[in-house]
Amino acid sequence: MIAYTIYLPQIKGLLKKWALELNIYVPTMVEKGFFEFRPWNDQVEIAWDYDLCYTTLKKFILPPRENIIFFDMKKYSASPVTEAPKQLLFGVHPYDIKAINQLDQLMEMDSPDVNYQARRDNTIIFGLEPVHVAETAFWSSMNASKVDLGYDLYWTRISPGAFFVQVGSARGEEMLKVEGPVEKSNFTQKEAARRAHLKILAEAEKQTLKFDWSRTPELVNKFFNNRTFWREKAKTCLSCGSCNLVCPTCYCFDIQEEADDLLQKGRRYRQWDGCMLRGFAEIAGGHNFRDNAWERYRHRYMRKGKYIFDKLGELGCIGCGRCVKACTAGIANPRKVYNEIWEAIKNEI
Amino acid sequence: MPNKPKVAFFDFAGCEGDQLQVANLEERLLDLVSHLEIVRFREIKTIKQDNYDIAFVEGSITRPEDEPRIKEIRSNAKILVALGACATIGGINCLKNFIKESEYKATVYGNFGRWYSTYAARPLSAIVKVDMEIHGCPIDRNEFARAVKELLLGKIYSPPDYPVCVECKMAGNICRYEQGKLCLGIVTRAGCNACCVTEGSVCWGCRGLAPDANMDAAGQIMDEHGFSWLEAQDHLRLYFGYNSRL
Amino acid sequence: MKSDFSPYVPRSATLVSKQELNELVTLFEFAQDSGKPLAHRPGQFIQVSVYGVGEAPFSVSSPPRTDHNNFELAVRRTGSVTNALHALEVGAKIGIRGPYGSYFPMQKFVGQDFLFVAGGLGYIPIRSVLHYMLRHRDEFGHITLLVGTRNPKERIFTDQLAEISKRNDLEVLETVDTPDHGWKGNVGVITTLFPKISINPETTNVATIGPPVMYRFVIQECSKLGIPQNRIFVSLERRMKCGLGKCGHCQINGLNCCLDGPVFCYTDIAGLGEAL
Repeated sequence: MIAYTIYLPQIKGLLKKWALELNIYVPTMVEKGFFEFRPWNDQVEIAWDYDLCYTTLKKFILPPRENIIFFDMKKYSASPVTEAPKQLLFGVHPYDIKAINQLDQLMEMDSPDVNYQARRDNTIIFGLEPVHVAETAFWSSMNASKVDLGYDLYWTRISPGAFFVQVGSARGEEMLKVEGPVEKSNFTQKEAARRAHLKILAEAEKQTLKFDWSRTPELVNKFFNNRTFWREKAKTCLSCGSCNLVCPTCYCFDIQEEADDLLQKGRRYRQWDGCMLRGFAEIAGGHNFRDNAWERYRHRYMRKGKYIFDKLGELGCIGCGRCVKACTAGIANPRKVYNEIWEAIKNEI
Repeated sequence: MPNKPKVAFFDFAGCEGDQLQVANLEERLLDLVSHLEIVRFREIKTIKQDNYDIAFVEGSITRPEDEPRIKEIRSNAKILVALGACATIGGINCLKNFIKESEYKATVYGNFGRWYSTYAARPLSAIVKVDMEIHGCPIDRNEFARAVKELLLGKIYSPPDYPVCVECKMAGNICRYEQGKLCLGIVTRAGCNACCVTEGSVCWGCRGLAPDANMDAAGQIMDEHGFSWLEAQDHLRLYFGYNSRL
Repeated sequence: MKSDFSPYVPRSATLVSKQELNELVTLFEFAQDSGKPLAHRPGQFIQVSVYGVGEAPFSVSSPPRTDHNNFELAVRRTGSVTNALHALEVGAKIGIRGPYGSYFPMQKFVGQDFLFVAGGLGYIPIRSVLHYMLRHRDEFGHITLLVGTRNPKERIFTDQLAEISKRNDLEVLETVDTPDHGWKGNVGVITTLFPKISINPETTNVATIGPPVMYRFVIQECSKLGIPQNRIFVSLERRMKCGLGKCGHCQINGLNCCLDGPVFCYTDIAGLGEAL
């Protein structure tokens, strides 16, 4: 493991250098208790101790709306659109890195998604060890408190003025040395980083699954036909899709298009969609394969708990707790839902 | 539809704010108009013809004598488009439906109330078949342009059928309920890009209820967030007066 | 990284001919402008674009051909894209992507018997398989075709059906749910045809495509006849948007209808709560 120690006063200089090459986004407090990744500039105060950024970081790689082709209605031709600004996400927590790693795999699978990949290739990720755990988070039990890939650098604050920076890629290491040589970390600093991790892990253990995450697929599958359970759970579901849209591992989209005002050219774009929305599984002619809110609700837990697992070998939920916050009805808590299922059938399996 | 369809604008009870939005398209309007012929549009020209293919109708129906007029427009037009909240959902005119007739007549017309006929305000669809709806108070001019282009391409524009929350999340807004505010985005039809919330306000429901809105849940959620039913009802009646169980 | 390739970019094709099959359904014959054959396999679908209006998935209705680059789609007028297609005149262009998805494993069927059960528009994709078999008739055994329609007015490919009915190397049976005055054939849902056929369950494969409600009943009848589940094939309809297994719209439990389907062996979906 290669690691360096970076001191707080060095960081501004580095950021200024990096900013010449790419757009930098950092966590910052936007309102009391609410954090978001925002463009960095001299004036922005980085929230090193943020607990959770309110919306998901997938927007930087899979924007809410994104052109995918331009077409010409007269010549009947079309051309691809791939926009991929160079960007740095500085301060990403491990569970969010895990989510991006998952998207990387899903977007690569079968038919690679060129739009996603172009953006991802131009995105540099600097991880950050959390020092606070959001009230709604449960990432420690979703196998998401530590990642061993998916970052270019991984920063751990080891004292008020110093960071232990682990190298994840050559590109990351180069960036660190852009202003000249930096101090190699010694054993004490490495040990301090390890302790920082253990400390946050202990805090995160307060909210957990009551069972090992790897049993989730089996559990939800067994509960698939328990309509009473799903109906009861989804009774107050607004079918508003908030849980989908804030989820860092949800990537479903709709495809739409609009002609220009002269009706000669146009653009086709994709935009975020969600399986909780009523029309999501509707086909031409109006038949809806998940007509009821509870069927859509169930699908979401199946997808997070089993379908993604079947593809990747890990759960589709990383335990960030964003959906728990975003659901005004207060029914979108994967930890609670899975725990309830566990309580109901732990003696049968 | 002919190659260059004839288009007419009409208004009933409303503020003409939607037609103003159309006029505000400015130079874009010139491009759009190259595909059609405007035969009647008070906001921008004086000439009036009664031979048209597409009728854009603003405003709600608030008097018995509005009915024959809207029916005539319906029978002349191949496509009838309801323009704006008053026309699509009854809009704020429906506020009067919750007040005694004598009371609102006196408020509006003073001693001359008996000179004017009136009845409960309602959307166009309460009287005639509406082919296409462009929601909002006022309408979004980009959505209007899009709907017109789709019509010209032989498609009936269908606005989103999901709640505003979707667009709020896409815009990255912090949920108003998290801020302790009452917001109707949870049951209101999207399509506005959550503009009011993005600008710092809350959703007032001007695009009407989303087709599958779970009103029971919404009531419960408002209650759980500490809003009294009266408070919620006040908010809900502003736009949802015509068709919800209020 | 800037890439010139995107799977979202359609190629163009030109409308060669158009034939009304009934009040709502029209058969379109397109030619790929590239001059190449579509290279689809029976049961696959393509994404069709009418620029400015949208894109929608359609099963290819013609059998694969290597001798020319035309292909056929039979389309029912139901939404904006299908309406726009109906408005096209010969010579007009569309955009296409694909072919996508799974297909009927024709090699597996060589030397075996086949039972087709087509309900309504389900005949459109079945036609691709059937005509492939008719073109390679000596490779397959006994062929039986059951066609069910709601009423005589909604029947499609009537001339073609009448023609193949005359052949003595396959058996064609038709039924309608509700007859009109002129209808002389069988009346009743498609399962009422089952008692009239004789097939060898040991050697018969089934392909059944139709409206969602139909499958359960047809599969029941097949089981009664003793046909094992692994020889029953269905094609399921979902709204594929990307066709690449990404957008999520066509998901059936954990499967993507656009990649794992639309053609499924019944054993692969029998246990899925959202399939039928």
